[in-house]
Parts: sequence; C-alpha cells; structure tokens
Amino acid sequence: MRRRHLRLIMSNVVSSIGHTLGGVGLGLRWDFLEEVVDGPTLPIDFFEVSPENYMRRGGYYPEQLERLLGRYPLVTHGLTLSIGAIAEPDPQYLRELRLEIARTHSPFHSDHLCFSSAGQRSLHELLPLQQSRENVGRVAERARRMSDVLGVPFALENITYYVHPGRAELPELDFLMGVLDASDAGLLLDVNNVYVNSVNHGFDARAFIAALDLRRVVEIHVAGHSRKASGLVLDTHGAPVADPVLELLSHTLSLSGPRPVLLERDNDVPELSELVREVQKLRDVYDASMLRFDAARD
Amino acid sequence: MQQGIEDVFADWVLGPAPSRDRLAGLCEKHGIGADDAAALSESFERLTVYRELVRGNLREALQLAIPRSIARLGPLFDEYFDRFLAEQAPRSHYLRDVTPELLAFAGPLWQDDARVPAYLHELARHESLHIEVSALPSLPRDHVPAPLSLEQGVELSAALRLVQYRHAVHELSADEADRTLPSERAVSLLVYRSPAHEVRYLELTKLARRIVERLLLGDSLGGAVRQAATAEGSALSEAVLAGAAKLLADLAERGVVRGPRHIADESRTTESGQSGTNAPAKRPPS
Repeated sequence: MRRRHLRLIMSNVVSSIGHTLGGVGLGLRWDFLEEVVDGPTLPIDFFEVSPENYMRRGGYYPEQLERLLGRYPLVTHGLTLSIGAIAEPDPQYLRELRLEIARTHSPFHSDHLCFSSAGQRSLHELLPLQQSRENVGRVAERARRMSDVLGVPFALENITYYVHPGRAELPELDFLMGVLDASDAGLLLDVNNVYVNSVNHGFDARAFIAALDLRRVVEIHVAGHSRKASGLVLDTHGAPVADPVLELLSHTLSLSGPRPVLLERDNDVPELSELVREVQKLRDVYDASMLRFDAARD
Repeated sequence: MQQGIEDVFADWVLGPAPSRDRLAGLCEKHGIGADDAAALSESFERLTVYRELVRGNLREALQLAIPRSIARLGPLFDEYFDRFLAEQAPRSHYLRDVTPELLAFAGPLWQDDARVPAYLHELARHESLHIEVSALPSLPRDHVPAPLSLEQGVELSAALRLVQYRHAVHELSADEADRTLPSERAVSLLVYRSPAHEVRYLELTKLARRIVERLLLGDSLGGAVRQAATAEGSALSEAVLAGAAKLLADLAERGVVRGPRHIADESRTTESGQSGTNAPAKRPPS
C-alpha cells in the first residue's frame, strides 16, 4: 500500500503542463527576479516560489512570475500554513493558495512541519511542535486533507528547531516519520536543517538520514547557516552552503537516488551569477552522488 | 498541550522583555505542566533566539515600509512597536500587511499622544501606501478602450487609493534624516499604480477629488461632475465641464481611466471606507 502511494507521489513530480521537476533548482527571490525573467535561459533546472509573495496581489511581481511560466518548471513552497497550530488553517488563505498553485502549475506543494500562528496571532516564524503522539495524529489528519484542499500532492519539510517545547515524547525522527506515515504526505528533506539540528541537539546527521524512509522524499533543500558565539547554529539562509552540508547532501542522494535539489538563499543575497555558480557546484555533487547511487544498485 | 505551547511562545516573543520569572509565569498561566515548564526553562537562552527572530522579521518589514516615520519617531516607535505586538499582534498571513495593521492600532493612540507630531500618522500612512498600492489587485486586461459618455460610469484602475491629508506630507523629502515639518493644509491625493507598475501620486483640486470620489462610488460621469460641482457650491459652468474633461484626459493618459463602465457595476473603495472591489482581502503577510 505504501509503495503504491509513494509511486504516486513521485509520478506527480511532473507538472500539469508537462514540466518535470528534477536536477538542481534555485529559490526565486525578488532580488534577482527581473534578471531571471529578462535574461537568457540559465543553467537552473527549476525555481521554487513562495506563493505568499505572489498571491492575493496584483502588479509587478505576479506579472513577472507569469512571464516565467513556460520558461522554467516552478514548484511552490509555502511559509504560513501553520499546519501544526491548534486552529484550523484559514480557509480564505487555502482558497487563494490553491489558485496560486494552479497558476504556477506546481506539481506539488510543500510547507513546514511546525506552527507559525497562535490563535489569531500570526508570528511569521517557523516554530517547533512538541514531538508527541498526540501531535502526530492531529497534524497527520490535517496533512492528509491538504492534497484535496490544494489540488496537488502535499509534502512537509523538517524544520530547524533551537528548542524542543517541553519534554519530547518522541525523537525527532519518529515524530517526522510518524506524521508522514500517518498522512501519506511527501517529505521535503532539508539537509541543512538536519545538519543544524544535529549540531544543536547532538545527534548523528548521517544516521538520521539513513533511518528516514527516503522513498518519501519529493525534494531536497540546502542552504547556508551561521554560528553564534554561544555555539548555537542558526539556519540563516544567508551564506553559501557549508561543506558538511554538501557532504550530507551527497550522502543523502547516494541513498535516495535522483531527487530535485534546491538551493535556498534569503539573506545577504549575492549576485545571481554567484548563485548560478553555487547551483553548478551542487550539480557536481548531484552527478557524483548519482554515480555512487547507480554503482550501489549494480 | 499544543494550545498552551502556542500561547507561551506567542506571549514570549511578542510580550515584555524576557526573564526566567516571566517564562515561569507564562507556563503557569497557560497550563504547561511542571516537567515541560522545567524543560523550557532549561532552554531559556535558546528561547530568546525565537524572540529575536520574530521581532526582527516584523521590524524589518516595517522598516522597509515606513522608514521616514520610524526615523522621525525615534525611540517612540519602539514603544509603540512593543505595544502593538503585546496588545494586538499581526493577524495576516502576509508580511506586507503588518504595516497597515500597526497603523490601524497606533493611529488612534498617536492622536492622543502629545509626543507624537500631529502629521506623523499621515506620513506613515503615506509611506505605507507605496507597498499597498503596488500590490493592489489588477483588473483583467481584456478591456477594450471606448469613448466616455456622460450617461455611463467610468472604469478606473483597481490599483489606486484616494486619500486626504491635513498636512502636505507628500511634499516631504525622501531623505530619512530630513526633519522638515510639512505645511499644514488640506491635501487630496490620488495614489495609483501606472501601467508600468510604478506607484505615482497626483494631487487633486477639491473639485477633481469629488469627481473621482463619485466615480469610484459608481456614479455616471455626468452625475459625478454635477454632484461634485454642487458639493463645491459651483454651477455646472463651462469652466467646470472643461476642468472635468481635462482631469479625465489626464487620468486616461496616466492609465487610471480605462474607459466607460455601466453604472450598475460594483463600486470601489475610497479612503473614507466604502467597501468595494479594491479592498484588500484581510489577513495577513508576506
């Protein structure tokens, strides 16, 4: 049963207009949107879009995004669903999100396994859920409904957390896989988040990756991080991807096989040419990992 | 349990300065058990990271939207920022909504605070209109231009706001360090998005403002001019008609006038608060 469903998830990596999501992509940011839209075709396999930046609005940005359709495959990655909050997601937001997903022909939609609101208060940050059995059931039930609500398969991303809210009933791995198994959602595996959490909470990142059901992975994220004087590592998306994260990406791909990989950069965004070079670096890691994956299968 | 955790986190990041006592008080207030409260207390330093992240994101969005107002308010802005977070908090999914949310909260308070200059709320509103108008929904592009007629309404761009100020805040320098006071005079301003997506500002005469106001409410062109003239105590003279024609030609050139519309069409929003197709859906950010 699970195998059949997982095949369904992966087959949907082809969008409704026939774009295949694969290779190495880049998070689309306003800093370089114009350059991407007006410039020559870049060696970037797809772009990931934060739908909240384009939905429920008119003007320049949605028009530019419209111009990008057809040139590159797009995939949507939300920020404010707050799937783990007690309050049900805002139905108006979900309706608008569904329209935006359809408009971009995204083959699936993802958001974060977290909460970002408290009742009516919107906190605009990804906050950690208590790793409890109760939350597994509650969040999974909601995640299971998302594919129907949004009109495309739904995936959850593992977040960075600096604090576990209270005593953890389950390890992060069991919590994450529990939600995914019970909801049949895909996994957007953020390798940088695994690395950051492994440093901050003292576990083996490679073992964590190896223990995941990697068949669930529909996309992989990588990004840069920084370290505070206290030693705490912050998921800043404000620096190039660090070598240990590249190594972890390689380890992941050699186990998972081909999956779309995405570079995220949200702060201190450099020139587009520099990001293109970093995408190429990731592609080199990707290609080498695929050789190892294929060799292991032979 | 999740409800309690949400409330503790929200009060922690949005409320008064952090302390261990305050954290313990929040856990007790929101029904967090002793074990979980102890675990949170052990993570006190890391919990403050979330406070920095949340407040930093919101502060950054406001700084982007109303930098001159923040600079002129100085430390007073932080006082109201703290009050907004603690007493109201953002509600929208969209970060771009945080500024109007803060202004809706702080506006009435600023009016009663002698430390806040009388023009400040208008300046902040004026600054925030740039992002607001740049993001207003567009009308479909299938419009076919046609001559206007007095019997029909006028289709105006959806991406506009008609505002009135008591101070000429729109004339102030864009320099954040500038502290020049705005002149005190009534201003009617049409803030609109051009077809090239640039936010532009057009100061209107009283008569022009009334005409646009009536057109936004769905009056026919003839009715709008007639009512505007009456409201201004003017006869429907050649001069008034010529002025109206000049206004409409100017607005058409700016892409604000799209052509004729049936007067039964839905009306639009003006700053005075009538509901209509121009009103942004509520709630909140990015």
